[in-house]
Amino acid sequence: MTASIIEVEGLTKSYGGKRGIIDVSFQVGEGEVFGFLGPNGAGKTTTIRVLMALLRADSGTARIAGLDSWDRSLEVKRLLGYVPGEPSLDPNLTGGQLLEYFANLRGGVDQAYLKTLIERLDLDTSRKFRQYSTGNKRKVVLIQAFMHRPRVLILDEPTSGLDPLNQQEFDGMVKEAREEGHTVFLSSHVLSEVEKTCTRVGIIREGHLVRIGDVAELKDIKRYEITISFAHPIPVDAFTKLDGVTDVETLRDGSAVRLAMQGAADAVIKAAAQYPVVSLTSYEPSLEDVFLRYYERDGEAPKEAAGVA
Amino acid sequence: MWLRSIYLKTLRDYRVPILGWGIGMGLVIVSPMASVSELVRTPEARAALVSLAQTFVWNADAIAADTVGGYATFKIGIFIFLIGIWPLLAASRMLRGEEDRSSLDMLLSVPRGRVRVALEKLAAMWTALFAMAVIVGVLAFLGGTALKASFGLGDALLFGLDLALFCAVIGGVALLISQFTHERGPAAGTTAGLLLIFIVLDMVHRVIPNTDWISRLSPIYYYNLSKPLVPTYGASLGGMLVLLALAVALSAAAVWLFARRDVGDTVPLPRWLRLSDRVAGPSRSLPEREWSLRSVYARSLGMIAVPTLWWTLGIAGGAAWMVIVVQQVEGKLKTLYTDSPFLTDLIKNLGGANAEFNAAFLGAMFSLLPLLLMAFAVTQVNRWTADEDDGRLEIVLSTPQSRPVVLFGRFAALATSTVVVAVATLAGAALASSATGIKLDSTNLAEATLGLVPMALFVAAIGYLAAGWLRSAADTGLISFLLAAWFFITFVGPELKLPEATLKLSAFYYYGTPLLHGLQLANVAVMVAVGAAALALGTLRFARKDIGV
Repeated sequence: MTASIIEVEGLTKSYGGKRGIIDVSFQVGEGEVFGFLGPNGAGKTTTIRVLMALLRADSGTARIAGLDSWDRSLEVKRLLGYVPGEPSLDPNLTGGQLLEYFANLRGGVDQAYLKTLIERLDLDTSRKFRQYSTGNKRKVVLIQAFMHRPRVLILDEPTSGLDPLNQQEFDGMVKEAREEGHTVFLSSHVLSEVEKTCTRVGIIREGHLVRIGDVAELKDIKRYEITISFAHPIPVDAFTKLDGVTDVETLRDGSAVRLAMQGAADAVIKAAAQYPVVSLTSYEPSLEDVFLRYYERDGEAPKEAAGVA
Repeated sequence: MWLRSIYLKTLRDYRVPILGWGIGMGLVIVSPMASVSELVRTPEARAALVSLAQTFVWNADAIAADTVGGYATFKIGIFIFLIGIWPLLAASRMLRGEEDRSSLDMLLSVPRGRVRVALEKLAAMWTALFAMAVIVGVLAFLGGTALKASFGLGDALLFGLDLALFCAVIGGVALLISQFTHERGPAAGTTAGLLLIFIVLDMVHRVIPNTDWISRLSPIYYYNLSKPLVPTYGASLGGMLVLLALAVALSAAAVWLFARRDVGDTVPLPRWLRLSDRVAGPSRSLPEREWSLRSVYARSLGMIAVPTLWWTLGIAGGAAWMVIVVQQVEGKLKTLYTDSPFLTDLIKNLGGANAEFNAAFLGAMFSLLPLLLMAFAVTQVNRWTADEDDGRLEIVLSTPQSRPVVLFGRFAALATSTVVVAVATLAGAALASSATGIKLDSTNLAEATLGLVPMALFVAAIGYLAAGWLRSAADTGLISFLLAAWFFITFVGPELKLPEATLKLSAFYYYGTPLLHGLQLANVAVMVAVGAAALALGTLRFARKDIGV
């Protein structure tokens, strides 16, 4: 990882008696696209709002570019572009007026680049915010976050409501930001989006950060299946005690096996090579499967913290 | 229980207005009752009161104005506009307000037809109006009994019913208009405008002979046909039935249109009535030169401009009207003033002791101006807190604008508006004074009008401070209550012989009687100091608080 631009250390925030986040720590390197995953109420938005100095942490620190996000919020906000989870803007201003207003509040926005973004996301700037569809409202908020080419983008579920075409455009914008060396901190529960755009991922559950690592690293903890067909029946015992095999199922009168796997498949491959293999197929889990596994709890769905986002 | 149906849920939402407006309207009825006996102590004073009431007959019928019931009926006639405010706000919010918040989509996704949803909401509003009517009736009866009035409980309840029917008509108008507007604000504003037109139409037949047919176009005319608190006059069944029919017809038309239009859109107007069809394609342009987008202050000024215009017209116009009225009713009021210790005390308390009658009376009337400008400030505090509640500050605060700058930007825009209102009020009163020949001390007039500014900013600062802890509804409720309490202390406190220390708790105490004695610098300094301290504390709190929690 390159030098950290976002440093979160022991961050805790509660809402009265209700849990928000507890002792959350992570770092995001400059130029990284970091995905922040978790179900509703897990604490994603709370973490982001503390980073944005909209909430004050009970304990712990959040720093951006070495600056405390609360104590030096003004300097921090000069570096940031922000998309809130539930954007709400003056309903009586047009999209154009809103963008112009935020450009003025930020200062130094390149109007030509702003117009490029408007073209790119195909936004009609003459309509009032209240007349926009959900997707168009999201476009206004995305454009205002990207328009000043911020060093760090903090995006809370940024693509919710966007159509696939605009999602693709958004992916392109994130890619370009990364290529320009900018950092993107993106919360989402659309895992395919994270899989596509992020280099590292953190998973938050019931206020605790439960896992952090590269997207590929997360896949290492996956459960997956291997089905091997042989030219004739083979002894199943040859696979049951191998490293990485958690379950074995015999198919087609013993001439095929389906193996439930966790970890490396090296031992399985070597054992299978002792017999005439006809075919070998492996089912790769998506990040959704990895994600779901983290929220499994004795077959129960994870509880959501009511009223806490 | 209250969440079992749309009707019950809506009625539950109205429980505070039922009590608040019911008791408020009841007190508006009872207050003048209490003063009648004091106003008619001598035959001369009684004759002067009847004569004075006749002077205002263009505004409201003056039937048996020297009796408890007649005087109360006459006074409520003058305040009929205020009575119409709640129904027009509630009805314009009933469907259009829910559409504004997108909550109607969810409500219409349950297996209930649109007509039923609308009717349940309408039924809840009507139930609320009739509950208010009962409260008004009971309070009027209790007040009348205490003052030995000649009307009974049945008469008082009929009076309340007449008011409720009038309110139902105004609600019907607002509900109908809201089918043609994209937001509830314009629906409420248009209905308020129509209410003013109704008041003028009703006046016509009292001023110009043989013009009853014009006044019959106004629902207020049919409301005025009943005067149950004047037993010799009684209630008009016909008038009440017309009001009921109007309320049903207007509401039915509104529900019929609602059932047929797109949710979130308006009833399509015929092509010839549309202002202009949008023919241009999508635009990509940006309003780069728009002044109101330059800063938080400029944007706040843009937001407050239209309300400022209306409040300026109301307050400056009201001040000019007060000056004109003083000249017109001078002779009649003088008799009342000298014969009624109550009126003498009231005017001296509010207008200033040992003053010329005209000046004292005008001073008393001018004491209403700070109340109005402070009410305007309350509406703007409500807007500030609502913006935070609705998450509209989130992106503004993600820009490199510090929290104090955002707060001061909004406050400074309010300050600018109050200065505009005050200067316009000064100009309006000065023009009226020179047009009517009423002599006013120009320095005192300037101080009385410009002195409104610290009053309004004082209440706004208290509101901004409380917003650090309270959500929008609670904050607005708190400062509205404070305003009502201050008003009570200053206007009624001296009659109740409240101690000086209690009188000093009212903000109006520090405004004093500037039209006669100029502003007392020490008092203004107290207001400014307390207001500045409240604003400073409010800013500190806002700078440190969690936003939107």
